[in-house]
Amino acid sequence: MCCSNSIERDKAMMGEPEAFDISVVSGMKFFDPHVHMTSRTTDDYQAMADAGVVALIEPAFWLGQPRTGLDSFRDYYSSLIGWERFRSSQFGIKHYCTIGLNSREANNESLSEQVMEILPLFIYKEGVVGIGEIGFDDQTAAEEKYYRLQLELAKEAGLPVQIHTPHRDKKKGTQRSMDIAIEHGLDPYSIIIDHNNEETVKEVLDRGFFAAFTIYPFTKMGNERMVEIVKQYGPERIMVNSAADWGISDPLAVPKTAALMKMRGLSNEAIELVTYRNAITAFAQSGQIDEADFNAPQSIDQSVKFEGNTILRGGQQPRTDKSSIIIS
Amino acid sequence: MKACDVVTANKLLLDIIKTNLSGEALNWVEAWEATPDQINGLGKAFVMAPRKTGKAIVQPSVLQLAALEDAGLANVSQWSIDRLFRVWLLGNLPATAQDKLYAAIDQLFLSAEMNEAVALYSALPFLPFPAIWAKRCAEGIRSNIGSVLEAIMENNPYPAQYLDEAAWNQLVLKAFFTEKNINLIVGLDERDNLELALTLTDYAKERWAAGRKVNPQLWRLVGKFTNEEIFEVLKTGLQHYDQVEQRAIALAVAASDYEPAKDYIDTFPELKAVLAEGSLSWDKF
Repeated sequence: MCCSNSIERDKAMMGEPEAFDISVVSGMKFFDPHVHMTSRTTDDYQAMADAGVVALIEPAFWLGQPRTGLDSFRDYYSSLIGWERFRSSQFGIKHYCTIGLNSREANNESLSEQVMEILPLFIYKEGVVGIGEIGFDDQTAAEEKYYRLQLELAKEAGLPVQIHTPHRDKKKGTQRSMDIAIEHGLDPYSIIIDHNNEETVKEVLDRGFFAAFTIYPFTKMGNERMVEIVKQYGPERIMVNSAADWGISDPLAVPKTAALMKMRGLSNEAIELVTYRNAITAFAQSGQIDEADFNAPQSIDQSVKFEGNTILRGGQQPRTDKSSIIIS
Repeated sequence: MKACDVVTANKLLLDIIKTNLSGEALNWVEAWEATPDQINGLGKAFVMAPRKTGKAIVQPSVLQLAALEDAGLANVSQWSIDRLFRVWLLGNLPATAQDKLYAAIDQLFLSAEMNEAVALYSALPFLPFPAIWAKRCAEGIRSNIGSVLEAIMENNPYPAQYLDEAAWNQLVLKAFFTEKNINLIVGLDERDNLELALTLTDYAKERWAAGRKVNPQLWRLVGKFTNEEIFEVLKTGLQHYDQVEQRAIALAVAASDYEPAKDYIDTFPELKAVLAEGSLSWDKF
């Protein structure tokens, strides 16, 4: 999410943009552990698949405006494990999700009570790899209450937790999130602290948590800064994500960051850890990630028929030629 | 399926489940069998199934395979173990309190992820009080998820037995639209009807107008109902001079009593010859 920005002003500040050359990282596989695909188009899915994204995690979040009833939550959670998972599969991308009550809407207490009652219906579903994204926004008492209740739920279900850290008063909010998780007896190794920056990363890593970084224009991390962080702290327990959503964001943030890391001299091993492996290590603690589901040698031939059916098993979508004026 | 067939089928499914599981997974299934209030525990067991049983494709024995074929359930041999278990779980629920059972299963439909939805629709023919799920089945046909549609449309005896004509026709039309394997629709020929034949001929005309091909299986559901209006459409198809399409239309007309259409087919020597030969059949299109 972002304020309005002028391209002219950006050019004046940053110079002409450098083109993204995917060939630097061609053949690499990527895992985007935080991306809100319900807000994205099929063009984005196609571009992600082309750039090597083989799997992703879609955390439950707020939709840009508050929901007013329980059924809106129920249908949203259902869409993450149903329709969106199917849409993703059409592009050969394995779709996982985390389920939770986000911090902003936790402030609607009467509704939050009801949401807490239906969460157990969803967190045990196949492909639900954690409770998330939960944590603090305004850092109110209500946010803390539902954060704590959901930590208990994660503990009971044996699921990892994906923690959103606040935009405002980030450093204190991040510390407080970690303090409370430890107070509830959760293992830092099962917790992914998200949206880190230069100011928060050291403490998160020192205390044994996973540190996720969101590469998101204007408001969160830029990927040049990300390269420096990996150079400084090493690749262990660090992962990058796009958090692409309904705001100005980039669903190719993970492959682009990998390409930049490659160009700036990081090793292939380090790049693989922060753009693929560490996310799997963290979220596979749910028991819900089988790497074979997306790591098998891929041979998607759009012309292959399944039982005389022109659509591939699983409904692989045929590709359209975007450069053509003809739509048939 | 008849009630007695369901009992036999459930026994067979359980037999396959047990020979495909061992250790902790098998204990879990046996514990479930001994659970007194299964309706109360249904939600949890249904959702957790893959964590307990795994998701491997079942490997029935030669005997089990033969029994599946006898029961008209040959396709079950391609199911994953969690799907098979879930179907058995639902089909084996006590047929006592209808309202309570409906509420418990309906809740599963409302929060189903993709694989759960596939299992739920696959289970329709096995459920106690099967008739109460006709509306839910019609709702499922509105899905756009390929695997869910396949679970309803392909190798599933439920729709032909319980859907009213409007819902049935929607199923068949959507199967053509979404390019499902028409040959796998159970009861396809038994449930053909004039309304469906007219809708399908309109659909064929739309396809032609868009420059697209028509699935030859479509004519199988049209031929018997040939009348003046349909005959005009068939003539258009024959004049495309596409051999597959021509042969499908000829085979369709062979099932009709409408003499003008039969006479018209006879004006095509090649079609007249293959019909006389008797080598055409719908399975070959």
